Amino acid sequence: MAKHLILKAAVIAAVALGGAQGALAQRKGGEVTIGISQAPPSLDAQITSAQASRNVTLHIFETLYARDENAKPVPELAEGVTVSPDGKSYVFPIRKDVTFHNGKKLDAADVVASLERYRKIGASPALVAAIDTVKASGEHEVTVTLKQAQSTFLDNLSSPRAPIAIYPASEAAKEAGKIEVIGTGPYKFVEYKPDSHVKLTRYDGYASNPKGTGRDGFAGKKEAFLDAVTFRFMPEGGARTAALEAGQIQFNETVDGPTAKRLGTDARFTVHKVVPFGLQVIKFNQAQPPANDVNFRLAVQAALDMEEIMAISYADIYQMDPSWLYPGAAFHSTVGSDKYNKADLKLAKELLGKSSYKGGKVTFIVDNLRANVDTATVVQQKLKEIGIEVEIAVSDWPTVSKIGFTPTNWTFWTHGFGIEPYEGPGSVMAPWVNGLSQQAKDPEIDRIAAAFNAELDEGKRKALYDAFQKHMYDAAVAMKAGNYGLFQASTAKLKNFKPYRIPRMWGVWLEP
Amino acid sequence: MGSFLIRRLAGSFVVLALVSLMSFALIWLVPGDPAAAFLDASATPAQIATLRSALGLDLSLPQQMIGWYGRILSGDLGQSILLNRSVSAALTERLPVTLALAALALAFAVVVGVTAGLIAAVNHNRWPDQAVMTAALLGLSVPDFWLGLVMVLVFAVSLGWLPSGGFTAFSQSPGEWLRCMILPALTLGLVQVGFIARMARASMLDTLGQDYVRTADAKGLAKLRVVLRHALPNALIPILTVIGIVSGALLGGAVIVEQVFSIPGIGRLIVGAIAARDFPVLQGGLLFLAIVYLSINLVVDVLYAVVDPRVRLA
Repeated sequence: MAKHLILKAAVIAAVALGGAQGALAQRKGGEVTIGISQAPPSLDAQITSAQASRNVTLHIFETLYARDENAKPVPELAEGVTVSPDGKSYVFPIRKDVTFHNGKKLDAADVVASLERYRKIGASPALVAAIDTVKASGEHEVTVTLKQAQSTFLDNLSSPRAPIAIYPASEAAKEAGKIEVIGTGPYKFVEYKPDSHVKLTRYDGYASNPKGTGRDGFAGKKEAFLDAVTFRFMPEGGARTAALEAGQIQFNETVDGPTAKRLGTDARFTVHKVVPFGLQVIKFNQAQPPANDVNFRLAVQAALDMEEIMAISYADIYQMDPSWLYPGAAFHSTVGSDKYNKADLKLAKELLGKSSYKGGKVTFIVDNLRANVDTATVVQQKLKEIGIEVEIAVSDWPTVSKIGFTPTNWTFWTHGFGIEPYEGPGSVMAPWVNGLSQQAKDPEIDRIAAAFNAELDEGKRKALYDAFQKHMYDAAVAMKAGNYGLFQASTAKLKNFKPYRIPRMWGVWLEP
Repeated sequence: MGSFLIRRLAGSFVVLALVSLMSFALIWLVPGDPAAAFLDASATPAQIATLRSALGLDLSLPQQMIGWYGRILSGDLGQSILLNRSVSAALTERLPVTLALAALALAFAVVVGVTAGLIAAVNHNRWPDQAVMTAALLGLSVPDFWLGLVMVLVFAVSLGWLPSGGFTAFSQSPGEWLRCMILPALTLGLVQVGFIARMARASMLDTLGQDYVRTADAKGLAKLRVVLRHALPNALIPILTVIGIVSGALLGGAVIVEQVFSIPGIGRLIVGAIAARDFPVLQGGLLFLAIVYLSINLVVDVLYAVVDPRVRLA
């Protein structure tokens, strides 16, 4: 019995000691250099939707509302919101404890000026298109009036795509790209050397959201332990890996599968999986034959083995999921799964027989990203089995996107949708509204999207979203192959890192 | 010498005019739309049209051409689409980095290349000659990017002697600047070492066979003195021309090496501009490089004319 007690005491002591060490481990200090593949086109967060910019600017700037871990909008610089019953008026009380990096206290004038600037020059004008007026209704209160009710307004306000960042009013008065980089976030801007790096240091005057209990998406409690974070632009993947191994960078934004496997077996490094990071989407050009024929599209949809596509294109880092939203999203739905990933060649041949396709080459345009070329190749092979002859045309992104936004010279086009499913149902529908991505208007999608934007009832909105997803499958508007992810790698000394859409450097610390 | 200079300058202007025309032609030769490339896949046609109009891409080709020549003649290379700054500012900011890299690589290539060529020539058809020529051939056959990554793996990852990439300005820390530049300069220079060594060997062999060298030898002068004092100065004339060619190749090679070592030079700027269809940077960058290249050639030609008066009369 005594022996048992001693053992129990020893276990309790060990756990307590471990806990104490865990608490002690959170230490301030150290610098982290992150290797990122592309340079941010601008640090003026409002004017660019580039991922490379988001990586940096979301450490510096904050928004009125931000997304939590499941991408739901939650208050950040606002204390909350009161929405009028008609859904047209939003009153935001602004937090009083917030100070900009230049020492100025945040007030309503800064918020008004920032929103007005975004309305003029923001990179995603659709986010603020519904706004009629923005007024300061108190020193720390802003009232936004919409032209008509928009159910996705808080989603828009909190979107990290080209964030509606809040600047000091003096900066918000400046033209695109001419601002001083001054935000309210946990890190402040130090220097930007073009084609080299951006350096940030910890902002010790940072006022964390009192409502945040921990790290939570782009919102929550943002505790910065590191002294400095440098984003170094390193386009060459091999050079980024070498720099991590040589200890010159502590975090590699993206590594390929084989490198991730190799680094995963080395105790000096930790490999992180960001899954999902995007949807692999295969588009049809419905403006010309044969993809203007629904039976042709349904035949292709029935023939494809989506798991085969994902396993080859994104080996070891994919999820099979019929939903056009990410798992965990409020409106995530499996509607249409009966038509997803069927690989039913018999059905495909039947449908193709009913279509107007009578042979001949169709063009699959694709950019030179390896995974996209792999997707096109697998589709080409599979469609050959049902008698569709696919020719693959590979070029770089600017060339492909130029062709893909026109109604001729292509039948298939594949690429990822990363931020849209993260932003939510409104953004997932948007690329198909007015026939933007399929090159021919689809009245059903236009109707659903308009109704969805005007509908304020959560239950009815969910039903509308389900109707959208059902239509995507029933009419094979476009196809989703699966969710893909990406590998990141860091030094094992970087503790408490949790992968998300950008490598968040709050809540993490370095061990000596 | 005056008429020689005028002839050479006139030739340079013709080349510049042609390069400027080709730079402009990029707009319609290269597929892809800068506006679509700048915006993401969910951009609406209206957004693309607005950006195209802001960039002047909706104008007719002759209108764009008049605008292009009007601007460059007034010394304005335009505004970058991606960088949100003027092309001239972007170029002048990066020029010292690329020139320093190329100069270091050139110094390395010349010193090692000429020495190796000299050793090979003096030991004609013996093992040092064969060793140098084999190494030169190997150096010439190795691609820059591969050599760069091998350098990083050996000197940065395995030995930990030098940084694997990145850049520190000279003004910030000369020591750190040098540490950052060594591997890229070696990578860039090594490929040219082979070229210079082969030329130096051939030129030296030619000179060593001349009567005055044999006379010097016959007088009983020390071998080293004959080679360095009598043969080398004359052998250097063709090498000087090679150095001019190599300088151009170094600027071209810098495009790849700057990419591998993340060095913020002109090469990196141009590669980024190609990927993003940042035409103003691409056009301005090419014109700018042409000017630098022509200037180097002009300097080499003038030096050549100074060393060998027969050139002036040609």
